[in-house]
Amino acid sequence: MRVAHRFERSGSDDVLMTPMIDVVFLLLIFFVCTASFQVAEQVLPSNLLAAGSVATEIVPPLEQPLERIVIRLRHAGGEPAWLVNDRPYGSLVEVQAVLVALAEIDPALPVVLDIGGSVPVGEMINVYDLCRVAGFSTVQFAASVPTGAGE
Amino acid sequence: MRLPTRKRTSGASFNMTPMIDVVFLLIIFFLVSSHLAKQEVQLDLDLPAAASGADQEEENRPRVTINVLPRGEILLAGAPVAPSELQRRLQHEAARVERDLEVRIRSDRTVPYQYVEPILLACARAGVWNVTFAVVEQAR
Repeated sequence: MRVAHRFERSGSDDVLMTPMIDVVFLLLIFFVCTASFQVAEQVLPSNLLAAGSVATEIVPPLEQPLERIVIRLRHAGGEPAWLVNDRPYGSLVEVQAVLVALAEIDPALPVVLDIGGSVPVGEMINVYDLCRVAGFSTVQFAASVPTGAGE
Repeated sequence: MRLPTRKRTSGASFNMTPMIDVVFLLIIFFLVSSHLAKQEVQLDLDLPAAASGADQEEENRPRVTINVLPRGEILLAGAPVAPSELQRRLQHEAARVERDLEVRIRSDRTVPYQYVEPILLACARAGVWNVTFAVVEQAR
């Protein structure tokens, strides 16, 4: 008996691998290339307040607040130091606890950040972020005007 | 009168597969190139982390982005700029757009604040109050 050693399919039933591999490769390249390996950026909005001799010139008159929270951040010996209304705190966690407690009393209290020149921006953003997380609606930056600026 | 009909032979049929391949390749090329062009605008900086950051609004608000490099150099439109010059250019830009101008500060987290403070001061003096800081989401 003769056995057919070759089985030929008709053209319509033929499964072609080449286009499928093409498409799979294309999809692979597409997803690899469009995948964003960058961390998504966010934004922190802020209000500006300039303190010093230039303040009366550029800041519109505001109602005198009953009280305000002044946070001073300094960088001494490579370590940040926090002062909330001239009271020193040893860590950011302590500052956070104070801010949360104050925000529970009155979140409308204006907070003024007085940041030292040597403080890294990352530390400044940490404090600013704490104020926002605590719920304070008004967080402003105090800016010292250099002497001899002519204003 | 009967017109002769012309029948094509099967050997001259039009093969669609290579054309689809090429079209797909072109689509992917333009998608990827536009994606990379968008990323190229942003300078690679080690941004500070924050928990209260909001997602960027992709609206047509006029915006000026100021980059502050780790060594304290201030870049406006990709070129270094002095703080005094910055105030003048922000004033000019704020007057030109006639709308609420947003200034976005993209600063490296290690930069001392003394390099960022003149930017805030220049914004205040130029009458630009809408200042935002670019941050990354804080890991929880």
